[in-house]
Amino acid sequence: MIVPVIALNTFREAVRDRILYVLLVFGVLMIMVSRAIGWVSFGGENKIMTDLGLSAIWMFSGMVSIFIGTGLIHKEIDKRTIYSILAKPAERWQFLAGKYLGLALTLLIALLLLAAIFLAYLWFCGAPVTLALGQALLLNFVEMLVVTAVAILFSSASTPIMSAIFTTIVFFAGQLTKWVVDLGAIYKQTHPWMEKLLHLVYLFLPNLHNFNIRRETVLATQSRLHMAIPVDELMAATIYGLSYALALLLVAHLLFKRRNL
Amino acid sequence: MAAFSESAIKTSGLGMIYNPGLFARRKIGLQGLNLAVPPGSIFGYLGQNGAGKTTTIKILVGLQFATSGQAWVFGRDVQDSRARRDLGFMPEDPYFYEYLTGAETLHFFGKLSGLDRATRRKRTQELLAQFGLEQAADVPLREYSKGMRQRLGLSQAIMHKPPLVILDEPMTGLDPLGRRDVRNVILSLRDAGQTVFFSSHILSDVEDICDRVCVINKGSAVAEGPIHSLLTGKVLEVSLAASGIPPQGVPELQGMARRSWHDGALYHVLVDSEEKAQSAKAALEKAGGTLRLIQPHKESLEEYFVRVTGE
Repeated sequence: MIVPVIALNTFREAVRDRILYVLLVFGVLMIMVSRAIGWVSFGGENKIMTDLGLSAIWMFSGMVSIFIGTGLIHKEIDKRTIYSILAKPAERWQFLAGKYLGLALTLLIALLLLAAIFLAYLWFCGAPVTLALGQALLLNFVEMLVVTAVAILFSSASTPIMSAIFTTIVFFAGQLTKWVVDLGAIYKQTHPWMEKLLHLVYLFLPNLHNFNIRRETVLATQSRLHMAIPVDELMAATIYGLSYALALLLVAHLLFKRRNL
Repeated sequence: MAAFSESAIKTSGLGMIYNPGLFARRKIGLQGLNLAVPPGSIFGYLGQNGAGKTTTIKILVGLQFATSGQAWVFGRDVQDSRARRDLGFMPEDPYFYEYLTGAETLHFFGKLSGLDRATRRKRTQELLAQFGLEQAADVPLREYSKGMRQRLGLSQAIMHKPPLVILDEPMTGLDPLGRRDVRNVILSLRDAGQTVFFSSHILSDVEDICDRVCVINKGSAVAEGPIHSLLTGKVLEVSLAASGIPPQGVPELQGMARRSWHDGALYHVLVDSEEKAQSAKAALEKAGGTLRLIQPHKESLEEYFVRVTGE
């Protein structure tokens, strides 16, 4: 009972926070602007619209995860609102889980809203709308579940500014994990330790590139296909994302469970 | 709920050492603290800033973890979250979610305490009325004054009618009327059979309402017991005032009085024992004066506090 109570309250906090609406307006504007950029691209208007729209949603959800997620735990400690909550018969893991699920719910609702606007806009402009877009949006959500877990992990052990910096680094570095391995291969002969170090970085960083199927989605929708990637790949990426997020939350719990407040 | 024959709060050799990091010095928060708070009492927890009061309270409510010793609430280890079912807590300078209204805040804490919807609704109305917050029920907390937050903090602490209420500096920052209201709430909780454990700097309030007190200094309890047994009742000084005494005073009182002065109408004398007071009274009457006042001063809690903390 404790987890849903804290989750719903976190959701309420987010929807009463102006920053969510600023980011939402930004996301909607980006989607609308995609049409104008499509016009100046001489052909392939629909392709540009779809690509930019998906990227805008990705950027929006990334910013919500980072900006709201990194303050989630630290703000509670800093403002001492956590004192009265943990003095109730609530376990610390329930508090963490509630905060995480609350932000995940916020992201889900905001993403559904943006996705509805995006799909309606595509349809209104005569661009093809297929199930492949749903695949991209689903993996976008799973990616943000991972990023939010990263934000919660840093937030439970550091200040909001430091958490935001670290989470942003992980957010962008996570897109490049494939290149980290390639880079390691270059050093294999000259600096083997460097290759090992980069391999470690690869192992620990979340492979957010797994969730980026925007290019495949754009190609699939232009061909009016309903699948950007096979279902088993979609499932594998989803399970990977959920497992990674769960592992991060467990680490966050270990850091937080004996912390003196 | 745990058996009420147990102490409401018990600690045994409770210790807390803060270890801030590689280059900062370790700080002792508590050392070997033994406490036993009987159920149904009002227990005052006194100490200077940094003496360890808030550390003790934070350990009792599960916000901090003792580095040695143990603490129990109604016989249940405080590290067991079920121990917190039996207590309500108001932190010092309570802060709540600014985006929630007063009524939403009470519903939120009611849910966390496991109250059903009907009970939450009933208790919210009762408490808002009891603490004079009915008009502010739908106002966001960002518009609440400090006194209103304090009253809301008390409300959330007693929302689920816990047998033990722990309050950290509940009177701090309140005006005299606010302090009177808090005192009345504490007394009404005791009358309802609940135990109240509170820390305070305002010793007159503690003296007025507490059954027992514990004085803590540098992390250790230096005195504990019922107030009447701690305060010896010994007369520290006696004030006398007489009319009809000439401005130059009474020469006989020189050497006997700790202090004497004339305020135009009355001649005042301060002596340090009841025996000396009798002699001073006789001297004043012999000098043609009429005694208007004779008042012994016994040791107050504040004086006791200063004595036992060695400050």
